[in-house]
Amino acid sequence: MINIKNLSKSYNKGAVKAVDNLNLQVKPGEIFGFLGPNGAGKTTTIKMVIGLLSADEGSITVNGFDTRKQSLEAKQSIGYVPDNPDVYERLTGLEYLNFMGDVYRVPAEVRKERIQYFTEMFDLNHAVSDLIKSYSHGMRQKIVLTGALIHDPALWVLDEPLVGLDPKSAHQLKELMRAHCDKGNSVFFSTHVLEVAEKLCDRIGIIHRGKLVAIGTLEELRKGDQVDTLESIFLELTEK
Amino acid sequence: MKMLFTLIKLQLNINFGISALKYRFRKEKTRLWEPVLVGLGIFVGIGSITLMMTMLMLGIFIAGKSVNHPEMVLTIAFVGGPFVVLIFGLFYIISAFYFSKDMDILIPLPLKPHEILGSKLAVVMVNEYLTLIPVIIPAILVYGIGTGQGFIYWLKSLILLVLSPVIPLAIGALIVVVLMRLINVRKSKDFFAVVGGFLSLLFGLGINFFAQRIPKGHEAEFFKQYLGQAGLIEHLGQKYPPSIWATYGLSLHNMKGNLDFLLYIAVSALLLLALVWIGNRFFYASILSGQEVTRKRRVLSADEMERSYRKESSPLMALLSREWKLLLRTPVYALNGLAGIIIGPFMVIMMFTAQREQREELFKLINNPEYIVPVSLGGLAFMLFTSGMNIVASTSISREGKSFWISKMIPAAASQQVMAKFLNSFLISAFGTIITGIVLVGFLNFAIWRTLVLIGIGLLGAGLIVCLNLMIDVLRPKLEWTNPQEAVKQNLNGFLGVLVSLLVIGILTGVSVAFIITKLPEWIIYLLLALIIAVLLIPSLWGLIKLSEWKYKNIEV
Repeated sequence: MINIKNLSKSYNKGAVKAVDNLNLQVKPGEIFGFLGPNGAGKTTTIKMVIGLLSADEGSITVNGFDTRKQSLEAKQSIGYVPDNPDVYERLTGLEYLNFMGDVYRVPAEVRKERIQYFTEMFDLNHAVSDLIKSYSHGMRQKIVLTGALIHDPALWVLDEPLVGLDPKSAHQLKELMRAHCDKGNSVFFSTHVLEVAEKLCDRIGIIHRGKLVAIGTLEELRKGDQVDTLESIFLELTEK
Repeated sequence: MKMLFTLIKLQLNINFGISALKYRFRKEKTRLWEPVLVGLGIFVGIGSITLMMTMLMLGIFIAGKSVNHPEMVLTIAFVGGPFVVLIFGLFYIISAFYFSKDMDILIPLPLKPHEILGSKLAVVMVNEYLTLIPVIIPAILVYGIGTGQGFIYWLKSLILLVLSPVIPLAIGALIVVVLMRLINVRKSKDFFAVVGGFLSLLFGLGINFFAQRIPKGHEAEFFKQYLGQAGLIEHLGQKYPPSIWATYGLSLHNMKGNLDFLLYIAVSALLLLALVWIGNRFFYASILSGQEVTRKRRVLSADEMERSYRKESSPLMALLSREWKLLLRTPVYALNGLAGIIIGPFMVIMMFTAQREQREELFKLINNPEYIVPVSLGGLAFMLFTSGMNIVASTSISREGKSFWISKMIPAAASQQVMAKFLNSFLISAFGTIITGIVLVGFLNFAIWRTLVLIGIGLLGAGLIVCLNLMIDVLRPKLEWTNPQEAVKQNLNGFLGVLVSLLVIGILTGVSVAFIITKLPEWIIYLLLALIIAVLLIPSLWGLIKLSEWKYKNIEV
């Protein structure tokens, strides 16, 4: 679903190497957890997958589309939720969702069904006619999530998706992620909550100082040592 | 006291972006010409206003001298300056005290309410000097030089100049803090922004209107007639006593003068003390009472839901509708975007309501067949001016700010997104062009067929201006801002856009003058102008699309 090859990105005219020769694949049907300390390069990588940042070197394909050469097709395959839901405050929730429906060309009937499904699930149906300006952080997160999933994309890219969500919504989102991947789709998400990654992810990648320091299933990361928790593996890899 | 100064230093730093400027000069080292240009712009702007005010004050001084009251110029400056400060200051204070985003950081800190209030007031005060300097300095200079004053006068003047914003701002702050305790202004932030914006606009236009009525070359006689009545100083002084203390404090060199001078200082200090006291009692309470979020929380009926889903539109229309809604629903965008549409036609109407002799001359000129072409082209220039004087196109990407990630993420081509922005800006400019056309027909008796032709050319010109303005914002969008004000008012692109618009109008004026001199028939001139604009517009649109396709890829968020 995602194929990242030799990806590099630096800031401040090469002074800070944010992502350093990263190679990574996310397969269809899997939830891939992307972990790393603050400033490790998670968000930079995610933003390059989405097309918010351009890579200095390397290539990314999403659902078979090169994100540089076939950017619109790649974007059509992705539903993205950023870590900070900065969204049009002066639109109502429903206007925002309809806007997303229009730009992703979702037919009215399908759109209606999906909006109703998600707004009811996230308990937003009482707020969709209000301006987003009046929403709490969690509500914004939910409206962005709904907007990102409205076109039923093959790949969900979620940057810290559980931050700000109430326990019920967080639980529902995790269920949704599982169900989405069970249909052969994929989820690529970053998190700092290691317990969530441990329970939810099919595979995990750990990035540290721009380099991928570990990748695999939890079993593979443990290297046969059943006592190791993800936390101890993470700390061991990132405290070098 | 130490805490207050630390806070003031911090607030001034944030307000003027001093650290950001240092960072730019020391680390980033990019676009260093921008702050220099802004500084130069402010300097030239204030300088030219000061020069204009000096001429005005000189007129008042000469008029005052002829009725043996040369000090009248001081009274007028010390009434006029603080009055403007109070009017503008009220909205500035409301915004600084109640709408600034850093309140959420400052309130939990172990600071006294008056320290926060004082630091915010200090920032407003520093900004208000920009308003006061062009009013008060010319009066002080004109009176001081005109009556040959000595060292004591200049020293006192300096002290009074420094203190001049204190009284009006302290009064403004007291009104605001008490008012806020009673009503929840925070809830109606948008309403206040719109009212404040329109008041400022009306105030500016009113001054312009008044200035139009002063006969050129006869300013002194005009002021003598209006202001030369005996007891004017006392009359004004009754309305705003500090002005009389300042006047006598500066102009009389006796006991009364010194007492008045001290009285001015004492009242300034007293008002500040009152503000500290009121601030400590009410400031937090009034801020906290405005913190509640207002939301209707109305569940849509099944019918309403059904209707909203049926509105499926093409991506281009969806993008256009987004632009339109965000522009109109954000007061500062709507005001800055639509102000041009009001100002252009207003200027035409102002010409109509000018003095009778001037108006009659104007009508003679308009109806004279010999001048019909230059007059009509003047009308066209007004239309283009109306299109060029708005910042809708030149800030249209900047306005997206932190939500620009949505535009980067959606599967809509950059060219399509920019085309939606072009259409949105063009619709507003077209509206201005048509309104100007209607005003030309209604007030200046322009023939309808001619006005329709002019509107046609005006619309083409509006397209060109919008296209060039949009290019500026595509090239260098300002996406880093926390307050929508910064996206339009503190955005160099708006200024550059106006410059480009004036350049286009200038070039077209030059071409028109050449056509008039060569005595081409009227319809040929219109045709040639339309052709020239169209020839410029087509490659500009192509350039805009190519530019956006390249630039959108490279904007990183």
